[in-house]
Amino acid sequence: MRFRLPLLFAALLPAFATAEPAQVLNVYTHPSFAAEWGPGPAVKQAFEEQCECELNYTVLESGGDILQRLRLEGSSTSADVVLGLDTATMEAARQTGLLAPHTLTLNNLALPVDWQDDTFVPYDWGYFAFVYDTELLPEPPASLEELVNAPDDLKIIIQDPRTSTPGLGLLLWMHAVYGDDAHAKWQQLSGKVLATTQSWSDGYFSLFMNGEAPMILSYSTSPAYHMAVDNTDRYQAARFEEGHYLQVEVAALVNSSKNQALGREFMEFMLSPAFQRHIPLKNVMYPAIDLGDELPEVFDRLIRPSKALFLEPAEVARERRSLVNAWLDAMTR
Amino acid sequence: MAANQSQPLRPAPFSAPAWQLAPGLIIALALIGLVLLGLGALLHTAGTLEFEELWQSRYLRGVVWFTVWQAVLSVILSLLIALPVAMTLARLSHFPGRSLLLRLMELSLVLPTIVAVSGIIGVYGRQGWLTSLLNDWLPDHGWSLYGLNGILLAHVFFNAPLAARILLQALESVPAPRLRVASQLGLSGWWLWRAVRWPALRPVLPGVSALVFTLCFTSFAIIMTLGGGPRATTLEVAIYQALRFEFDFGQAAILATIQLVICGSLWWLVFRNRLESSLLPDRRFAETVSLKDSPGQGLGRVLLLGIFSVFLTLPLLAIALRGLPALWPASPMPSIYGQLLPATGRSLLIAVPAGLGAVVASLFTLAAANKPGNRILAAIPVTTGYLPLIVPPLVLGTGLFLLLRPQLGNSAQGWVLVSLINGLMAIPFVLQVLRGPLNAIDKNTLNQASQLGILGWYRWRWLHWPRLRRPIALGLAYGIALSLGDFGVIALFGSPGQPTLPVLLYQQLGSYRISEAAGTGLWLLLLLVTLFALLSRVARRAPGTNTEPAPAAAPEPRHA
Repeated sequence: MRFRLPLLFAALLPAFATAEPAQVLNVYTHPSFAAEWGPGPAVKQAFEEQCECELNYTVLESGGDILQRLRLEGSSTSADVVLGLDTATMEAARQTGLLAPHTLTLNNLALPVDWQDDTFVPYDWGYFAFVYDTELLPEPPASLEELVNAPDDLKIIIQDPRTSTPGLGLLLWMHAVYGDDAHAKWQQLSGKVLATTQSWSDGYFSLFMNGEAPMILSYSTSPAYHMAVDNTDRYQAARFEEGHYLQVEVAALVNSSKNQALGREFMEFMLSPAFQRHIPLKNVMYPAIDLGDELPEVFDRLIRPSKALFLEPAEVARERRSLVNAWLDAMTR
Repeated sequence: MAANQSQPLRPAPFSAPAWQLAPGLIIALALIGLVLLGLGALLHTAGTLEFEELWQSRYLRGVVWFTVWQAVLSVILSLLIALPVAMTLARLSHFPGRSLLLRLMELSLVLPTIVAVSGIIGVYGRQGWLTSLLNDWLPDHGWSLYGLNGILLAHVFFNAPLAARILLQALESVPAPRLRVASQLGLSGWWLWRAVRWPALRPVLPGVSALVFTLCFTSFAIIMTLGGGPRATTLEVAIYQALRFEFDFGQAAILATIQLVICGSLWWLVFRNRLESSLLPDRRFAETVSLKDSPGQGLGRVLLLGIFSVFLTLPLLAIALRGLPALWPASPMPSIYGQLLPATGRSLLIAVPAGLGAVVASLFTLAAANKPGNRILAAIPVTTGYLPLIVPPLVLGTGLFLLLRPQLGNSAQGWVLVSLINGLMAIPFVLQVLRGPLNAIDKNTLNQASQLGILGWYRWRWLHWPRLRRPIALGLAYGIALSLGDFGVIALFGSPGQPTLPVLLYQQLGSYRISEAAGTGLWLLLLLVTLFALLSRVARRAPGTNTEPAPAAAPEPRHA
């Protein structure tokens, strides 16, 4: 009598499972990719048409969470492909030894840097940039140096490098531009920082769109969304003379996957126009291949950085901790 | 006759002593097991631990210090506001809008942080309504939301209403004879406080303080959005950093342990010195007892409640104004509902079982804690009931994941799991709501019931249920509401593509859909208001006459 209830419960659970088709490809990804208006659903549809399989997303909070989940599950993971890591997390992901080489020839990539990596395949990229509200700030700084030297009345919103990808991006940007002087420059900048938010969303939604500060650390592609979907030119990215730091988002095959061939087919599909055409306006990033005329017109109106600043992922992994500690020291002094 | 007497009475269902202790202890042990598993997994992955390095770090010492400091300040401020508000509300038991104010007070805690913070910024931020007013009147006011100001303001906004709500419940359980005597003696001011208010508040005050302290101690997004920079960093932030960005499991485990030790010992203290339940008979009177007021006090009370209501309402109004355009555009049926409605269904599917589970688990926990016997043993279930609040979600999540992984196959199981964990996370709040009323039943009544053999199910049905109906409804509302607004747990385990309401909100945010996100925020707010209003109404409605306990129906004479 006493045992009947749990038994019933256990018996009911499998009933929820649906009948599975021949092959299922499990992809671990993050919310902005899998959202209804993100590239995820369209990509799923297009891929399922060509592969006669089922594409499943498991949505985790961020790239860091994808990696953490992979670590915990080890080789018993149900993931076949992980999609949504970036240049900041890929080195740690590589060191788990859980990922497999992609064995693709990456010759049609259109990235501002030369990409040679045997594990990670890029699927989009973008520059970090300060987005400003043209109504509050008609003349934004024209360089990082100008921003650092601006009077403290100019307020900016940044993200914390300890918790956010763009936040770490700015840290690396400052490091790439100033090297050992970055510490002093951060101290100079700190007077202008209104808030250092946990995530990009917190800053954008709660602060920037509430008009709390005229500038926020974001992506150079952000205005494309506002121009194409919101139909407003009000929010623009400030072009900085020193160049802009580059972020590349990547995917990789999982070593223990029993669907290696299908996974590889998906990675190949990832670099085809059928996948990439959904990137510009749905992920609001640059596509990883040249889309030609298919690139939306608003992308022609975005800033063109003079230089793409980029540190090798291995170097980032080595130096991140000391950079973050130096940043903390500069900001709390 | 003789045969009848010798035939033993059938015992009441669930009246064996084990039923009072065992379920609560099992829940407690399961929680402890989870935490140990989570910490153990981190330590196992970490290998060596560097305590030395941690204590040498100026930054980390600063983090611990700041975490404690802001939490203490937040507790003091929240209670300074909650105490007078609760006493005023207890005094003014009938005025138009009272129940609306109570619903608002219940609301602030369960709103998703990002929604509430955007409302607070809309009022007190640099471009906020109040700040703009202040700019006109007092150009050199020097007010800035960002920094300790903002942290404290947000913490008070979240916690003062919660504290006031729980304190009010305690004040409302003051036995009427005591109030009547106080009224006859003409007690007021200090004497009234000393004789009536303080004895009612004293049993719940340590718990409320510890609850608010823990909530502020583990605060995360508020600290980072409003704190102004890394000078304002809590342990929770440092743990997140260590786990998610540096994969430094050793450091994460040490920091989590520090947090566990500080908050855990606080709760232990609260429950070790648990005060005995009231000794006065709890009998109801048909007439409410009125206490005398001095003329100035009445005005002061109205003013206090007025200011408090404005403080609570303004940010909610800001949320409403911001979200309205998305929910109410020109077209008859905006497309946003195509996502909102299914997401609401999914959210309720998770939240309602979670809320029910939290209430049942809390009742078992309290039952085990109230079992007479070893004091220390009794403190274990209640203290562990607060573990979900103290242990960083990432650590708890890791433990749960390792424990339940084999079953994590398909999405339906995923939903069940999320519901289960949401229920766990709501236990501390439900416990806090139910603890006071459950303990308020006096010893005499309980002894009498035991002598009459009212045990087990019957005791619960006829003694506790009539008194606990309303607190249980409130606890259930908190349980459901917390799960409705929860984002953390579901993000931790990974959701299948279809989003719940908070996940939808974050997806919209992550994809620049700012106005739609504001609309979802408002929708969530409306849903929560409806939920609290509905449950408080259900609880208030008089049940059928046959379920009403007889003693309550018969008023005692006023001059007994």
